[in-house]
Amino acid sequence: MKNPLYILLLAVVLFSCKNDNKSNEEKTTSEEINVYTHRHYESDQALFEAFEKKSGIKVNVINASADELIQKMVLEGEQSPADVLITVDAGRLHRAKEKDLLQPISNSVIDSILPSHLKDEDNHWFALTKRARVIVYAKDRVDPLELSSYENLVDEQWENKIVVRSSSNIYNQSLMASIIANDGEEAAKMWAKGMVNNMARTPKGNDRDQVKAVAGGEADLAIVNTYYIGKMLNSEDQTELDAAEKVAVFFPNQDDRGTHINVSGIGVAKHAPNKESAVQLIEYLLSEDAQNTFASSNYEYPVNPNVENAPILQSWGSFKEDTLNLSKLGELNKKAVILFDEAGWK
Amino acid sequence: MKQAGNRNINSFLDSFFKLKRDINRWSIATLFILLLIAVPVLTISVKLFDGPGESWSHISTYLLPSYLENSLYLALLCSLLTILFGVSSAWLVTRYHFPLRKVLEWLLIIPLAIPSYIVAYAYAGFLDYGGVYSIFMEVFGVTQAKFDIMNVFGLAFVLSISLFPYVYVSSRAFFLNQAVNLLEASRLLGVSERKSFVKLILPLARPAIVAGLVLVIMEVLNDYGAAQYFGVNTFTTGIFRSWFSLEEPETAIYLSALLLILVFGLILIEKWQRRKIQYSSVKSTNTKTNKRIVLPKFQQFIISLVVIIPVVLGFFIPVLQLLIWAYKTVDKVMNQSLFWLSLQSFGIAFVTAFFTVFFALILLYFSKWNKITLVQNAAKLGVLGYAIPGAVVAIGVMIPTLFLDKWFITEGFATQFVINGTLIALVYAYVVRFLAVAYQPLESSSLKVSDSIPDSSKILGMGNFKTFIKIEFPLIRAGMLSAFILVFIDTLKELPLTLILKPYHINTLAVKAYEFASDEMVMHAAIPSLFIILTALIPVVFLNKLLLKNE
Repeated sequence: MKNPLYILLLAVVLFSCKNDNKSNEEKTTSEEINVYTHRHYESDQALFEAFEKKSGIKVNVINASADELIQKMVLEGEQSPADVLITVDAGRLHRAKEKDLLQPISNSVIDSILPSHLKDEDNHWFALTKRARVIVYAKDRVDPLELSSYENLVDEQWENKIVVRSSSNIYNQSLMASIIANDGEEAAKMWAKGMVNNMARTPKGNDRDQVKAVAGGEADLAIVNTYYIGKMLNSEDQTELDAAEKVAVFFPNQDDRGTHINVSGIGVAKHAPNKESAVQLIEYLLSEDAQNTFASSNYEYPVNPNVENAPILQSWGSFKEDTLNLSKLGELNKKAVILFDEAGWK
Repeated sequence: MKQAGNRNINSFLDSFFKLKRDINRWSIATLFILLLIAVPVLTISVKLFDGPGESWSHISTYLLPSYLENSLYLALLCSLLTILFGVSSAWLVTRYHFPLRKVLEWLLIIPLAIPSYIVAYAYAGFLDYGGVYSIFMEVFGVTQAKFDIMNVFGLAFVLSISLFPYVYVSSRAFFLNQAVNLLEASRLLGVSERKSFVKLILPLARPAIVAGLVLVIMEVLNDYGAAQYFGVNTFTTGIFRSWFSLEEPETAIYLSALLLILVFGLILIEKWQRRKIQYSSVKSTNTKTNKRIVLPKFQQFIISLVVIIPVVLGFFIPVLQLLIWAYKTVDKVMNQSLFWLSLQSFGIAFVTAFFTVFFALILLYFSKWNKITLVQNAAKLGVLGYAIPGAVVAIGVMIPTLFLDKWFITEGFATQFVINGTLIALVYAYVVRFLAVAYQPLESSSLKVSDSIPDSSKILGMGNFKTFIKIEFPLIRAGMLSAFILVFIDTLKELPLTLILKPYHINTLAVKAYEFASDEMVMHAAIPSLFIILTALIPVVFLNKLLLKNE
């Protein structure tokens, strides 16, 4: 009993020491960057590797949900090893900014690429990709002429016809925040209540499941993010493929403010030990090369205007997007959750 | 009045002297280790004094009633189902001879190795449009068939089927070591096998069954992924909602405290209910007589079928679905790095299981050797980490260790964090979280060792430590192995805590599976999930052999 015990103890000690030494070495050369990211797509992994090759800067990745990463950065304080924070929604970046975790970056390359509604007004964070939250409808049962806006979905014609996921999902919270910003609190609450009335089932599953439910005839309409449909249309699974082919995309609110979009974005940590590398990474991720990868492998809308949408996205046509400043989504997020609860949107 | 005051002082002094007399190195060591384990939990509880945030009234009006109802409902349903699956299979496996018994004996542990959110995805996929179920139904002419499992009953089923091994493992350890002697006696007295099971074995197995059940309930209350996917709002949903969506960590902590009280209340009720019953046997060493009953072939066949049911539901169906998905995604996901990941996961789980069992043993025995009852009771607090969601434990671990790390830097002992971002913080957090998983089977197996055995050894001049090594250690070996396997598997599939605390250059299979699943690429998560199962098989098969040597 004793011998294995000692060997094991020794092994553990050595194991952890080894890690320390390694990171020490890396620290002194400073050719590295620590990325805290909520995005766990293969495209990102590929982009980080490409960046390593191009710049010689080693990319260390910590993957977790944005909330946990923000909490981690708060606790780590000034000694935080984080250089950049990447999230899948603007709300969380706004929250990180509120908590004083990000620093302003003024950089002409970034400024020349990004339009103003796709970045923080004080340059604390920048959008990397866009996703639109759209209505999908069953091709065989719905005439798209009957569709117009998010607000119109509460019409009684859609009673028991809509499926949508839970209100704990950030994409729904952002959509709700945009409705609060545009229509006001009272109207937003009435909207949520109307949606609950028109739901074909209690919210469950993820976005893909909502598409499957429409394809399977449980409902006629669903609210989902565009890139999930792109992915389903390229799925290895025949069922997903069939389901996605039975539905079509409708961009709501084209006659007024435009379709709600959210972004995935990046900000430089306030206490970033490798600020220069961080800025280099952002420049790279906004470059045409990187934006092409985002667009083609993840079916997101690129933010670099010189990059074309993926063919699937092009087939849906271009659309007018809501240019509401994305910081608003963060400011109104909590309000959105409270209104969801009051309206009984599970 | 004055006299009363004097008496008070006297009784205080009296108890102080008693304390001084009874305190020994074991009490101090127990308290020290307890402190180490409890610091993260305490850090969180200190925050309780801040009170809940301003959204509290919102939460208690709109959310809490339904969250509480769902959670209690789930806990009840899962208790019934896991006892049904766990106890019946454990009993049949230890008591009867039937075809495939040896394989089934360890296959019954394996459902635990599949993260329950993956089981949830697998079942949803299995029963969804185009799934195996709908293909099967098409044979009968039903097209577009779908069985809706995404509700509270479905969730209870999925959780039970992936958690029943906790009950199976703990009750089997009891049946293996204990039941034989008792049954022998019972048979000599002319009592039928069935009657002795119901009247004698089941009541005696209660601590063992409850030990497993406590783990099941804590895990059920703690589940996030599966409940979230099925759209069932539970207590943990509330914790995450108030922490992240409402941006109020203090409310989240308040809710976790309520959850803790709930769990602790359940444990106390059970302890109180069985307080008068002494569970120790005179002889538990005489286990060589465990001869399995050989029934006629047909009955053997029936028993095989009964035992196979939980294995099919908890292992074969989810694995079948995973294999289908793995086949479809093999080109994209399969590569050599998965083997490297398996190795890392194995190493981390092994080290964690070792330390957790070690600390659980220390806590259990040191507190026994110390003479102060308060310390003995306090030792039980060490298991609370399991009732707290992993993400909250991670925060609890980070607060004190970061304090130390920052202090090291300002004092010049280090140039960067030495605890956080290394394996130390990760393993420490695992131990805090999984101590209960090791403590429960150890405690129930140590209860079976009669006090008279170590007592006589001590009278004969052996110290506490020698007595432990020579006498108690061999007697509780089965419990230790069970504890080790359970912690090992739990660590393999652990997620939220790993995500927050893991070092950069280390990755685990569970993290890999999650990266896919969280992006709605459930199919791609199949291959890493299968690797988790394969990695879990190694200790299960190996340690099971050791366990069976005891027979």
